[in-house]
Amino acid sequence: MAVSVGSFVRLKLRVTGNGLRGRPARIAVFVLGAVAAGFAAVAGYAIFAVPGLLEEPRAAALLFPFGGAVVVLGWLFLPLLFFGVDDSLDPAQFALLPIPRRRLLAGLGVAALAGLPALATLAATAGTVHSAARLGGAGAAFVQLFGILVGLLLCVAVSRALTSAFATALRSRRARDLATVLLAVVAASLGPAQLLLLGMVNRADWEGAARIAAVVGWTPLAAPYTMGLDVVAGQAWAVPLKLLIVLLVIAGLLFWWSRTIEGAMAGTAGSRRRERTGTADTRGPVDRLLPRWAPRSRFGALLARETRYWWRENRRRATLITLAVAGVFLPVSTAFGTQGAGAGGLAVLVGAIAPIGLANQFGYEGSAYATNLATGVPGRLEVHSRAAAHALFTLPMLLLVAIVTGFATSRPESIPAQFGTLLATYGVGLALVLPVSVVFAYALPDPNTPFALSSGGGISKALPSLGSMVGALLGAVPVLVTAYLLGPAWLWLGLPIGAGYGLAAYLAGSHLAGALLDRRMPELLSAVSTR
Amino acid sequence: MTIPAQRVPGEPTGAAAPAMSLRGLVKHFDARLAVSGISLDVPAGSFYGLLGPNGAGKTTTLSMAVGLLRPDAGQAVLLGYDVWHSPSEAKALVGVLPDGVRMFDRLSGPELLAYHGLLRGMPADVVDRRARDLLDVLELRAAGRTLVVDYSAGMKKKIGLACALLHAPRLLVLDEPFEAVDPVSAALIRDILQRYVTGGGTVVFSSHVLEVVERLCSHVAIMSDGVLRLHGTLAQVRGDRPLQDVFVQVVGGRVATGSELAWL
Repeated sequence: MAVSVGSFVRLKLRVTGNGLRGRPARIAVFVLGAVAAGFAAVAGYAIFAVPGLLEEPRAAALLFPFGGAVVVLGWLFLPLLFFGVDDSLDPAQFALLPIPRRRLLAGLGVAALAGLPALATLAATAGTVHSAARLGGAGAAFVQLFGILVGLLLCVAVSRALTSAFATALRSRRARDLATVLLAVVAASLGPAQLLLLGMVNRADWEGAARIAAVVGWTPLAAPYTMGLDVVAGQAWAVPLKLLIVLLVIAGLLFWWSRTIEGAMAGTAGSRRRERTGTADTRGPVDRLLPRWAPRSRFGALLARETRYWWRENRRRATLITLAVAGVFLPVSTAFGTQGAGAGGLAVLVGAIAPIGLANQFGYEGSAYATNLATGVPGRLEVHSRAAAHALFTLPMLLLVAIVTGFATSRPESIPAQFGTLLATYGVGLALVLPVSVVFAYALPDPNTPFALSSGGGISKALPSLGSMVGALLGAVPVLVTAYLLGPAWLWLGLPIGAGYGLAAYLAGSHLAGALLDRRMPELLSAVSTR
Repeated sequence: MTIPAQRVPGEPTGAAAPAMSLRGLVKHFDARLAVSGISLDVPAGSFYGLLGPNGAGKTTTLSMAVGLLRPDAGQAVLLGYDVWHSPSEAKALVGVLPDGVRMFDRLSGPELLAYHGLLRGMPADVVDRRARDLLDVLELRAAGRTLVVDYSAGMKKKIGLACALLHAPRLLVLDEPFEAVDPVSAALIRDILQRYVTGGGTVVFSSHVLEVVERLCSHVAIMSDGVLRLHGTLAQVRGDRPLQDVFVQVVGGRVATGSELAWL
């Protein structure tokens, strides 16, 4: 019995519909998605239509290549971010059915076209047709229309091929860990990248931008969206060449997809590879766990395990990376933006952000906390060891932030005092975050799925940690006031005062957190266990 | 050891205090009553099997017994120490293998053992010696630096058991120790546990594999729907019938009449 391409589309619509049945939350999310897609479509159309309405071919020559590239890149990256959200037609589900590969590809491709993202993309890019019509008449509009259709095919091919390839690649835990970290890097650098972009725009160099746009227009990313403009500009000879480029890329992507889809269909069954075996390690178990300098005690074991976890657990690693990027970029970018005035203040912010990684520290390893509970680790010891491991990573980073800030503001002599202020903020932040981590702990989703988003209630769960961040800033105010009052003497007194203040705050907070933990260890275990 | 020997009628009386003594344990999860008033004495030196279908409350009961889950009511006494009043003394004498609970699985096997040993306050050289022994006996040496998260299900059980045994506890509480374990490893674990009981230790474990329980246990308790249905020595519980029949009858499962699925 042959399966027609249409049945894939029907299947997809049916799966989508059934997924909504009787689930108000899902319906709400779907409606939100639809509204967002509609908004994106209208906004996109409006933006792309502006050059036409203004009769500005030069603006179009800038906007279409960059806008088109953004659209294609969006199709490239968004499926990775939301991998697993649209699993309505997971290739793995067809593994047991007798469907020829060619038909499967066609079916999945067409089904991907029948979705909100595809419709929204088509509607948004249709704005370029509007512009092309205004600028170059019917001929240009027709070519541009053809262009956006080819562009849509390109988008779908890109996203399908990439998710399929990823489904194969993400099978090993190591690859999934790596993907999470890469994602964290990308997410963390979004802010700085934006600042960089703004800076470039500010130093407006339209000639340079136009040259870049022309080059981008010849890459497969934007070629489909600039065809109409070539007609407008009287270089219709470029249209077949660009078409050839895009079609070749689509063919290549489809070929790649057809190669990877079988791997994706095999699902997670089989193909277990052994990782890191055999290498002879003759050290005793204790020496393997503990670094040479760590005491051979309960505290040493807890500290060593915790430091291992900051490196080996992907969510924690992501937290550290985000902190590192924020810590270096916040002061630097503001120093350049404001000629150094705001950098010191933002450095203080880094000290307040740093402890946030501990706000749900017991959630990271979830029910594994049962080990510590079953062996009867006292609350104070638990809290101290966790804070110490975090400080092991954070303190060097804060020192780096102080140094970077000092040089970025051309005031190297202020580095010790700046470090002192950071220590004060960090200490107050820890004092607030540690009790929060005991009282407001919650379970995180399975750490082995890299793109799992934590389920619902995100804001209310994040409130306590945000509160403690604000609290850390407020708590550091006395130090800042002292700095102001002391004037030049602060340069010498900043480090001891700040460190002492932070240490005192930390001791008080950890004492409270330890006492709280002693009283509610089993409750904490239940709170962080996924049921 | 101030706990008076409270004896349940029908229980074989021994002079020694019970290794584990549960009194009226109750646990609600939201509206659902998971465990309703369980009282049980586990004699020292016994090999005690806790039987029950899925969802009977075995894990909940054992979790409350070892201090991982706070009961709504009742008390749990391990080797004379109340788990909820003198937790450190009680926990020091007990080894626990929880089920459905993650381990610190981003450590390798040897690292995990060292972690457990040091948390138990053992000297480093003793930890090293025993950890090596356990890794050899349980055939985990070959895993090398593989992280526990990448272990197979059976290997995870074995490293969990090794962690529970490391400090030579007097009482072992094991939740589903034979689940997902291959027959060879299961035989190995059985041997280890039997030798441990012969040496004076006490084992309490939950299972729904009746054959294992029948082969190993001196005592059996059968749970269903959060209630202890039947308990005593294996001979008392079994009578002259196969344990399988007793279990199905007590739990109230249905028996095939032969008329359904006639087409099969």
